[in-house]
Amino acid sequence: MQVRTAMSYRTDYLFSLIGLLVQVFLLTVVWRSVYHGRDTVSGIDLSAQLAYTTIGTVQYWLFSPWTFSIVPERVRTGRIAVDLVRPLPFLGQITAAQVGLTAGVAPFAVLALPIAILIGGAAAPGSVLAGFAYGLSFVLAYCLATLFGAVVGMVAFWTTEVSGFFMLYRMVGQFLAGALVPLWFMPGWLSALAYVFPFQAMNYTPLAIYLGRDHGGRIVVDLGVQVGWLALAAGLLLLVWSRALRRVISQGG
Amino acid sequence: MLREFRMYAVLLRAAMRGQLQYRANIALVTIGGFAYQGVGLAFLWVIVSRFGALGGWSLTDIALLYGMRLTSHGVWAMPSAQVLLIDLAIREGEFDRYLVRPVNPLIQLLTRMFPIQTISDLLGGVIVLTAAASASDVRWAIGTVGFLIAGIIGGALVEFAIYLAVSSLSFRVVQARSPMLVAGTIMQTAGPYPQPIFPSAVRAVLTFVVPVAFIAYLPASALLRRSAEIPYADWLGYAAPAAGLLLALAAYRLWMRQLRHYAGPGN
Amino acid sequence: MPLIRVEGLVKEFRRTRRREGRFGALRTLLTRQYDVRRAVDGVSFGIDAGELVGYLGPNGAGKSTTIKMLTGILVPTSGVVEVDGHVPWRERERNARNIGVVFGQRSQLWWDLPLIDSLQLISRLYDVRGVEYARALRRFTELLDLGEFLHTPVRQLSLGQRMRGDLAAAMLYAPRLLYLDEPTVGLDVVAKERVRGFVEELRAGGDTTVVLTTHDLDDVERLCQRIVLIDHGKVLYDGGIGTLKARYAPYRELVVSLADEPASAVEIPGLDVVRREDQFLAVRISAESTGVADVVATILSRHRVADFAIVEPELEGVIREIYANRAVKP
Repeated sequence: MQVRTAMSYRTDYLFSLIGLLVQVFLLTVVWRSVYHGRDTVSGIDLSAQLAYTTIGTVQYWLFSPWTFSIVPERVRTGRIAVDLVRPLPFLGQITAAQVGLTAGVAPFAVLALPIAILIGGAAAPGSVLAGFAYGLSFVLAYCLATLFGAVVGMVAFWTTEVSGFFMLYRMVGQFLAGALVPLWFMPGWLSALAYVFPFQAMNYTPLAIYLGRDHGGRIVVDLGVQVGWLALAAGLLLLVWSRALRRVISQGG
Repeated sequence: MLREFRMYAVLLRAAMRGQLQYRANIALVTIGGFAYQGVGLAFLWVIVSRFGALGGWSLTDIALLYGMRLTSHGVWAMPSAQVLLIDLAIREGEFDRYLVRPVNPLIQLLTRMFPIQTISDLLGGVIVLTAAASASDVRWAIGTVGFLIAGIIGGALVEFAIYLAVSSLSFRVVQARSPMLVAGTIMQTAGPYPQPIFPSAVRAVLTFVVPVAFIAYLPASALLRRSAEIPYADWLGYAAPAAGLLLALAAYRLWMRQLRHYAGPGN
Repeated sequence: MPLIRVEGLVKEFRRTRRREGRFGALRTLLTRQYDVRRAVDGVSFGIDAGELVGYLGPNGAGKSTTIKMLTGILVPTSGVVEVDGHVPWRERERNARNIGVVFGQRSQLWWDLPLIDSLQLISRLYDVRGVEYARALRRFTELLDLGEFLHTPVRQLSLGQRMRGDLAAAMLYAPRLLYLDEPTVGLDVVAKERVRGFVEELRAGGDTTVVLTTHDLDDVERLCQRIVLIDHGKVLYDGGIGTLKARYAPYRELVVSLADEPASAVEIPGLDVVRREDQFLAVRISAESTGVADVVATILSRHRVADFAIVEPELEGVIREIYANRAVKP
């Protein structure tokens, strides 16, 4: 059902695609400018950086929750009462809704990728292993983004005015996920800070693996970190969910 | 003309009173807005601190440019952001009502609601601008400060002109929202960057087609004595405020003419 | 000189024909083809000051389009429209000062503010001087019974209360002309009567010309002496209600309830039976024919009658038939 809803906003997505491509263009222009004839900076050459930007921006666009789950809307319209009758399936429903949304949006990402590459440039994976590991990391990152998105969406149970909070989450998340600046260019303290949060595991990690920046044993560590965050996210979701349930019951719905 | 300003003030005050009912939200939305601007700034800061300069512009130069862009946007947004909702106003029948009152319909459109999200835009812009201005090596005197203000107002007028012109599509075509989004994205994304980093074709487009360059880059160039970097004419930077005024007037006339094609909701 | 003069008014809407299928939006953009729809197709009428005219028509007939041209919202494709000697769309703001408009579907009041704030704002928008505003406010508060909810935010008002607020707002600056577009839609019986009573008062006052667009024929029967009927963009009828009924439905119905026979048992030549149901019989009696008495006598002589009644034609039925035939009998 969410796929259908996504399709009905076709024009919206098309235009956000334009925004996506404009962003890719701008970022690659900036990178080319700062590299200014230098081939490599910090061990990363220009083509790798451009590939990061190109693939990364499309990837981030695909992952970022469009609507922070269906929860806020349900709470507002009161339909949540019906949903709460079947709690566990409801959790599954939230995630299914998000996945459906992504499925609806995915064709656009597929459409945008070649254009983005045309604008920015791409690179092949660092190695065959890197390619496979990227696939795995990609899936993990997506799950992580979805689950955390659902957790954040739960805030709707406590307040109806959520837009400011979502914006804060989205913006900080975007930055710390390395969607604009890859972690390898951030000053030490900032990239360390980024590791405290799950965001980098949602976007930066798969890209780092893909480009061969993280290789060998490091890949295992990266994947492990993602799994760790995933477990935490799931636990958090269940915790927040039970709290939310309790709150709704105590408030009478 | 005086009457129109009076009407504008009356209506704006009413819109603000309407929004004050939802006080808690204002704080939250403001925080969200700061986050939005902050990230853009953080990006630039990381880049420049890592690489030393962007397009030859130092961090303080870029900060000034960024501050001017943000403030310009805030100055535009607070009184005029509602123009983005012209589709909604038409669809809901509000616009019909505007045409039946003895007040300029554009003024009524702009004051239909007070956009609390824009408080953070203006506030954030002023904060960044003040910090950047004090750190910058521009000699601040009556002339330069005056030009700074003129440049910011001019930039707001350019943004006003662009959005207004695109919004008039709503009178002839069903939706103006998507083209406005595109225009907004271009302004938002490319606006705070020094133009020398762009390929020359893009620079031309951003100067003469969608006049983003006039919003902040050109006046900033003039202030920072970087007029030589402008490939077309080095006085363009000084002309920016006047260009803003001209563009705004032209856009207004276009809008009023297009109004004749207004067909009402659902037609 | 009529207050409102409309001659040969035409309004066409061009709509791009949407292409279906893949890339439909793109193809629509590239190969533009238009559908032209004539919403108003040569409408002419005149309204004098002080009249209360009902403007009727089915959905899509061109009612609101005509009204929108009269109020200056839309620019006509061709034809003449003059209100108080001025062309509405050319002198929109000047025309606006003379008119009050109430859209039944959409309030003009400020949603989040108390009603009194809206009234105050409107008085300022129309440059109503303090003294006149106070006087008008007093008058309408009393007439429309606004007292108890003047300070309530509009979003908390019931539909009936909001409509009363809108009526006050529209009349606050004493416009010469009042357009009411579906003012009773969605209202309960009591609220409807309130609105009708108010409009009747305005008419009695003589200073206000009222154009009433409505689907509710009770509104029309109660308030209007003259109606203009429009369908498919053309005027079908323009005149009094009585004349319309007489011209179009020059008959009445005699409903007979038989005592112990089914209606099918009645076989009287020359009798125009329109309906039979159980023991009820409906006979159409034309105005010029033998007359009710004769028909009644004939039936009574042949059958035992329990009861009978004479029914006048309904405006609704008349109008329905007119729309169905898309013409008015000469």
